[in-house]
Parts: sequence; structure tokens; C-alpha cells
Amino acid sequence: MKLRVWWALARGVLLESLRRKDLWVVAILGMIIMAASGALGFFGVEGLQTFAKDLGVTVLGLFSTVIAILTTSRLLPDEIKNRTLYPLLARPISRFDLLAGKLMGAILATWLAFVILLALTSVALLMFGVRFEVIMVQYALLKMVGLGVLCAVTLTLSAFMTPSAAATLSFVVAFGSSMIVRGLTMAYETSSPAMQWFFKFINSILPQFGLFDIGPRVANENWAPVPLWVVGGLLAYGVAYAGGMLLLAWSKFRSQAV
Amino acid sequence: MKTAPIAIGLLAGSGLFASALRSEVEVPKHHAGLNAHETHASATLLGQFRTSVSSWLWLRTDLYLHNGVEMRQLTEAERKRGIAGVGNGEHGQDALHDDSSIVTVVPSKERDFRGVFGDIERATKAYMRMEGHSHNDPKSALPLFRLMTWIDPQFIPGWTTGATVLGRERSDAALDMGIELLKEGLEHNPNSPSILSELGRFYASKKRDFAKALPYLRRAADLPVRADQLDEVEADGLLSAYRWLCLSYRELGRSGDMYRAAQRGLGLFPDDPLLLRCAADTPYIFTEKGQREWIEQSISESEDHEHHGHDHDHGHEHHDHDHDHDHDHGHKH
Repeated sequence: MKLRVWWALARGVLLESLRRKDLWVVAILGMIIMAASGALGFFGVEGLQTFAKDLGVTVLGLFSTVIAILTTSRLLPDEIKNRTLYPLLARPISRFDLLAGKLMGAILATWLAFVILLALTSVALLMFGVRFEVIMVQYALLKMVGLGVLCAVTLTLSAFMTPSAAATLSFVVAFGSSMIVRGLTMAYETSSPAMQWFFKFINSILPQFGLFDIGPRVANENWAPVPLWVVGGLLAYGVAYAGGMLLLAWSKFRSQAV
Repeated sequence: MKTAPIAIGLLAGSGLFASALRSEVEVPKHHAGLNAHETHASATLLGQFRTSVSSWLWLRTDLYLHNGVEMRQLTEAERKRGIAGVGNGEHGQDALHDDSSIVTVVPSKERDFRGVFGDIERATKAYMRMEGHSHNDPKSALPLFRLMTWIDPQFIPGWTTGATVLGRERSDAALDMGIELLKEGLEHNPNSPSILSELGRFYASKKRDFAKALPYLRRAADLPVRADQLDEVEADGLLSAYRWLCLSYRELGRSGDMYRAAQRGLGLFPDDPLLLRCAADTPYIFTEKGQREWIEQSISESEDHEHHGHDHDHGHEHHDHDHDHDHDHGHKH
């Protein structure tokens, strides 16, 4: 593995993101969070902790998903469009390295944005008197793994289609996969055996983004932290799924004329 | 020849023509509990947004009652297969709503084909087995009722249900707070039968002050409306107002007025068994406690029956978490 190469590429993505002032988007979204919490505070309602936590994890999930998709979907197409891909490929790096480095950079940029938003949300929650709980650390960790998987899915889609189409489809998958899974589980019992196999197949290939979101447990009272085997399992699943997506993107990109 | 003015004129003309066609192509909208939103002046700009926010808050209250466990109605196919809802362990006046036809959104292990994915989801989501479950104290949702009525003062169920939750605590202070909330709601919605009816019910049922209940109930009955012009929530409110009006007159020994109120109510709700009974009983004057309990029980049963019919619709018409179970005497069928 060429970790140094990947890191160099990832650093490039991160610096490019800073240069393009993507973090301004994060700042604006953060200001929305603070303004919303300020508005709630203005109402002066006691006992809104559960609601504040619920709102916090919902907004955090929404904004970080938007940032992950918008950051990742244009990475490859921009390199091709701006013709900056040629000098990169002239160096002794493979196309797989390029994809892996880009993905690593996208994940780091998304995580940076997520951590900033998380910090702002935490401040807002502290203002509402929300106490710190261990499950919140698990929430942040699992959310970051889920965002990594989302970056991998978006990067792969951008290898197959235009940035706009990749972003749109990524949004559909990110926000719709849980709904699709829910529909499959509801329809499974009343379906024919053949259809049940089809449902199992669809369920296995769909990215299970919903599993990485333990927001409902964080928002409501007295939920125990997630067992460690589950955290480990999700980490393994996330790495495997992102690896699979990377291979899929490479299978397209390695033979693509640029 | 200048083309810009012609183009603008053409655009404006086509726009006017299209506006004239609007009523022909748009389907008339009629949402239960939403009429006030659509007709109020503020709805022109922010109404839809406020309605969406208040609806979202409304659904959150249901979620918080179940401590974050998402519930859903059984599908028609599931009902046909004989799958039962989770039910709850609350009975009588402690019951918050009917859970006999709902199940958890995250399926139980025995009904989940996903194997380890299902196990992980049950471990990461707010999931627990909900058979015979209880609810969180609805008081925890009180701030949300306050918030939704601030954001959207025309959201009637926010006022009425919020007041009812306050009224569950039977102290005078809590009842007074409920009444104050309803009066504030009445300022924003002076023609709402539901709020007037609730005010009357608070005085009649909880404070046993029938004389104070009368003005509100009469005002509801005197509103120039027809039952079929009202949405489901307000029609229920109007019917409830007539029922409590009859009871209050009866309690005050004004059987003639009770008879007339029942007759007027039957003009709007001709099939209502309680109003029919009130009209038929007159001029019999109630003096015995048992007779009084009969009519109060009838009100409880009628309202319970109606509201259980559309519990968990997850819309505005699903408006009573505990509204109709909360009668002082606790008679249940």
C-alpha cells in the first residue's frame, strides 16, 4: 500500500477544499445551528433538552451529509475538466492510488467539517443544559464511519456519471436507503419466495446508512450505549463497503480514456 | 419596434390567463384540522412553513411519548394475516391512546429477514419490545405544545391537547394553567368550536363549575357554522360542545334549556345518541347521582369511540394523546 502517496493526495484535496473556501459553507451552516438554538432560547422554554438533542442530531446528520456529497461528487470530474489529472498521472502513481487518495481526502475534509459542526452543536446543547453522555461519543464515531461510506459511494457514482447526477443519486441513496430497507422488511412476509430472495439481494447491496445513525438513542432519555461488538461490526462493514465501492470505481476509472 | 414591452405584455397577459385557470385545474384541498391555516392571513406567506413545523413538532410529541421508539400503523396486508399490534399496559383514564393496531417501525427479530443487519439496527436504533408498553409522562412534551402554539397559533390541537396534558394533573394550579392556555388560544382563534368546547369541558368536568362553563359552550353552539363545513377536529369540538352544554344545563336544573340545546345539536348531528337521549329524557329532571353518572359516562364512551377510530393517523386529525380518556369520573366501557 502506498500510504504516503495516498496521504499526499488527500492533503491536496484538503488544501483545495480550504482554498475553495468550502469551510465557509460549514461556517454558514454552523451559524444556522447557533441561530436556531438562540431562537429556541429566546422562547425561554424549560425542559426542551430532549427536543434540543433531537434537533441537534437531525441537523448535524443533514448538514454533514450535504457536505460529504458536495465535497466528493466533484473531485474526479473537476480533475478531468481542469486537466489537472494529466500532471498527476504523469507521476509514478496508479489510477487506484489516485482514487484512494482522493477518497481519503474527501473523507478527511468531511470529517473536519463534521467536527466543526459537532463542536458548534455541542455548544448549543450545553446552552440548553444537556449533559454529556458516553453514547454521544459513539454517535460521533459511528457517524464519521457512515460519512466515510457515503464519500465512497459518491466518489464511485462520480466515476460513472456527471457530478450533478452523482450528487443527486447520492442524496437519494443517503436519504432513501433506510426508507427502501423499511419497505422491504414490511413487504417481505407477504411476498413470494422468489421475490423474497430479490429483497434479500437488494438489502445486501444497498448501503445501510441508517445503521450508522444512533441519533434517536442519543436524543431520548435512558438509552444504554451501543454494545462494542456492534461498533466493531459497523466499523468492519464500513471499511468493507467503502473498499468495495473503491474497487468498483477503479474498475471503471482504470479503463477510462481521459 | 421595441420587443421588450411586447414580451413583458405577453408574459403578463399569459400570467393573468393562467391565474384564471387556476381554479379549474387545482383540486380543492380539504385537510382535517388545517382549514384555519389555509384561510388565515398569515398563511399567505409563512402559513405552509408554519404548518409543516407544527405538524413535525406534533409527530415528535408522539415519538417522545414512546421514548424515541418509532411506531407505525399495521398495513392492511398485515391485518389480514392476523398480525396484532403491540397494545399498551395502560387502562382506563391512564391510557394515552389506542395502541392496538400499531407496531414498531424497526421490526422484531422474529419478523425480520435481514439477519445480522436487523440485529445491528435493533442495537443502534431506539428499539425495544413494546408489547404492553407504557408511555413517558406527557408532561415532558408540554414544551413542544407551547412551542408549536407559538410558531403556529392557528394550530388548534396544539392548544387543546396541551391544555389537556396540563389538566391531567388535577391540582387547581395545573387546571388554571390549562384554562389560561386555552384562553390564549381563544384569542388567536375566536371562532374555534374545539377551544370553546375544551374551555367548557375544563370548567364543567374538572372544576365542576357549570355556570362558568355555560358561556363558552353557548358561544360554541352559537357559531354560525354547519357541521359539514368544519373539518373533522372542529366538528368533533362542536359536537362535544353541544354534549357538555346539555350536561351543564341538566346539572343546573335547567331542563328546558337542555332540551332546546339538544334539539339544536340534533339539527347539526342528527344521529348522535347522546343528544337524542337528552332530547328524549326531557322534561325529566335529574336529581339522582346515578342518572348524572349515566350521561357523563355516555359522553366519555361516545368521545372515546370516535377518537379511537382515528388514533395514530399521524396527521392533524390525530390530536388527542389523552384528551378523551381524561374524565374525572373515570367511567370506561
